[in-house]
Amino acid sequence: MPEIEAVGIVKRYGGLVANDRVALSVDRGEIHGVMGENGAGKTTLMTILFGLQAPDAGEIRLRGAPVCFRSPLDAMAAGMGMVHQSFKLFASLNVWENIVYGAEPTRGPFIDSRAARAEVAELAERHRLAVDPDAAVGQLSVGVRQRVEILKALYRDARILILDEPTAVLTPPERDALFSVLRRLAAEGRTVLLVTHKLHEAIAVTDRVTILRDGRTVASLRTAETSPREIIGAMTGRNVNLNVEKGPGHLGEPRLTAVDLTVAGAAARPAVDRVSLSVRAGEIVGIAGVAGNGQNELVEALVGLRRPDGGRVEICGVDVSAADVAAHRAAGLAYIPEDRAAVGSALQASAADNLAMGFQRAAPLARGGLVNPGAIAARARGLIRRHAIRIPSERMTVGRLSGGNLQKVVVARELSHESPVLIAEQPTRGLDVGATEYIHERLVAERDNGRAVLLVSAELSEILALSDRVLVMFEGRILDDLAQAQAEEESVGLLMAGRTREAT
Amino acid sequence: MNGRARWATFAPHLRPPPVALAILFSALAGGALVLVSGYNPLLAFAEIVKGSLSFDSLPDTLNWATPLVGMTLVAAVSLRGGMVNLGGDGQLVIGGLIAALLPLVMPGPGGLVSVSALSTAALGAGLYATLAAWGETRHGIPMLISSLLLSYPAVGVTSYLARFPFRDVTTGLPQTAMIPAAARLYVLSGALNVGSLLIAAIAVTVIFVDRRTVAGYELRMRGNNLRFAGYGGVNLERQAIGTMFISGAIAGLVGAIVVLGSQFRFIDGALLTPAYTWSGLMAALLASGEPAGAILAGLFFAALQTGGFAMQRETSVPRVLTLVLQAIVILFLAIRQGVGTRGR
Repeated sequence: MPEIEAVGIVKRYGGLVANDRVALSVDRGEIHGVMGENGAGKTTLMTILFGLQAPDAGEIRLRGAPVCFRSPLDAMAAGMGMVHQSFKLFASLNVWENIVYGAEPTRGPFIDSRAARAEVAELAERHRLAVDPDAAVGQLSVGVRQRVEILKALYRDARILILDEPTAVLTPPERDALFSVLRRLAAEGRTVLLVTHKLHEAIAVTDRVTILRDGRTVASLRTAETSPREIIGAMTGRNVNLNVEKGPGHLGEPRLTAVDLTVAGAAARPAVDRVSLSVRAGEIVGIAGVAGNGQNELVEALVGLRRPDGGRVEICGVDVSAADVAAHRAAGLAYIPEDRAAVGSALQASAADNLAMGFQRAAPLARGGLVNPGAIAARARGLIRRHAIRIPSERMTVGRLSGGNLQKVVVARELSHESPVLIAEQPTRGLDVGATEYIHERLVAERDNGRAVLLVSAELSEILALSDRVLVMFEGRILDDLAQAQAEEESVGLLMAGRTREAT
Repeated sequence: MNGRARWATFAPHLRPPPVALAILFSALAGGALVLVSGYNPLLAFAEIVKGSLSFDSLPDTLNWATPLVGMTLVAAVSLRGGMVNLGGDGQLVIGGLIAALLPLVMPGPGGLVSVSALSTAALGAGLYATLAAWGETRHGIPMLISSLLLSYPAVGVTSYLARFPFRDVTTGLPQTAMIPAAARLYVLSGALNVGSLLIAAIAVTVIFVDRRTVAGYELRMRGNNLRFAGYGGVNLERQAIGTMFISGAIAGLVGAIVVLGSQFRFIDGALLTPAYTWSGLMAALLASGEPAGAILAGLFFAALQTGGFAMQRETSVPRVLTLVLQAIVILFLAIRQGVGTRGR
């Protein structure tokens, strides 16, 4: 009998069917992957399983018996636990307080803090999830916070654990540690539901995978008997090229140079600490690193959104250290920002207006301070066609586009500058396989056209696949500069965790 | 989650236009209010329409609309760029006082004097408004607060100047001396003067700049997403200061037009009592800063308020009702927007 089962789950949001008769069946003691592209309905299904919302039709069965969760409290009482993508912890409380919150052991009217602390320590010991029960959660790294989340579920003796994209924020060693924890939990007879769209993770850790596409269950496969190609095929409904095709580059002059670039941080340590780098025409230089190690600040200083506190930035030989964004762009910079919605676009504005940004002052879009709406629309239509952006009209606002299509708007605009330098920051974050493939092809094409490309990504596989050289950033510094041939997942992974080659 | 977001973005298209619905609701609510007060709501509404839009009352409406639409533009220009200029009152009285004092001291032909008075008033109020922008860009003082706070010293100081140093001692009232007839604005007919044409011209210019110029495009993008504009290379500091200057200058001009066209002197409090600033701000908010819509809303409020006077004369329903109607329109719009954005 399956441990948990979803039968014919239907969930509609108005006219949109997010889950269309979805079926899922998970056995006890198994690690079960739930895979699918963005918008395939994975998260909707998980929120229904965990009682965050009710299905319009269908039924959840726990060990064969139908259940009806009206809230996550019901789900937790039935032995379910969920680790959300964004952690739900109190940063100002310490570890044991977070773990026992809502289920505190009491003595009279007071929380029995000694018992709580001891229980948490024992629990952490038993599951080999090393945490200091007294550490303040705000001070912990994301990897450790995730352990706290898992402990929180185990403290309530969760028999079924749902993890929603748990590896997005982890370094490779942290990820591997998480996987061994999950394997141990499964061996104890607990059941793990792992939501992911990363193929190699599903292959590495799951026993079975259920694949959703467009709100429907399209396949349920035994991992040992399937192949990456079959999973991708099921996810996308077509064949996708997994590898990035890339010929040898033709190196030219340095186009983007930073010397001893320093940006002060909130803490005593600078956010960017004397970083020097150089990107030459015809190469992709990747900056690997766990998010939050100064990459954002480095990019902001390179593009002129933040005045550096020390050091120098040159774009095509022009010193732009103290200049504003417009001067950086004039010197030859295009920039795909990390957050396409908050920085890269104006969601309530039309695609035409979005695609015009950066070109609004020059002919043919403007003359003598007056804009030419006809030229703006014509240019937008051209870009929409060339990049196959799925939008019915250039007059439509871009806020309604899917993540992949919105990113195409940003990429189309920035590439149309034909600037010698391109900085791409997390260009495929949250995108599905098809859109990711497209962006990767475009970045390689830019490099082959002799542009200098700086790629910043927390996705190590992306860095390794695309970069001619890999810089590893940790705590504001560049720890190493590796040629593509030398850069391997394991060595780069260790550097991302702050261990230099000498030390290991 | 994904599905819900997608649904929320399509949903507005299935709804009736929010402004029309808000006006309908406010008419129903206001009507109910009139009814429980023991009057006939249909009669009251008929008087509002007659008193604002009939041939005889139209000039009155337009005269009332001139400062109101002017102050609507003040709010709309800044709102279009995502900034809120709450200092309209201060900028209004600065413009008004400058326009009241300059003709008393400046020699020369009347036309030249009034043009100088108008432009000096605009300049002075515009510069005063840039103080708030400068405080935000250089010192991080939120403009929402500083523009409002800067209004109080301006109102206080102009009031002092009108009551003491520049007071017309021949009258017992807190007001400056009458400006010479030659310096007053040219009268078109009855209460209407050339100031209305000036505001109309500014309104057309604002719409044109918004739709057809690089500056308008950049301001719209800023209002839509500040970080996007900065990322695209717009100089945000210069833009903030320029926008606030224009916004304040229009307010100064409105003050000058009222002084040179209708009151012929600076009367302490007279520019503020009708609360043009706040009606204008509401009208601009109603259209979320889009100039053409804001101007229409400003005209609608002006008609409502002028009609209110007529209704009070004819039916003994107090004209406060029209202000209540105006407020209910805004409230309904705010509710609808809140509903639309929830869960995103």
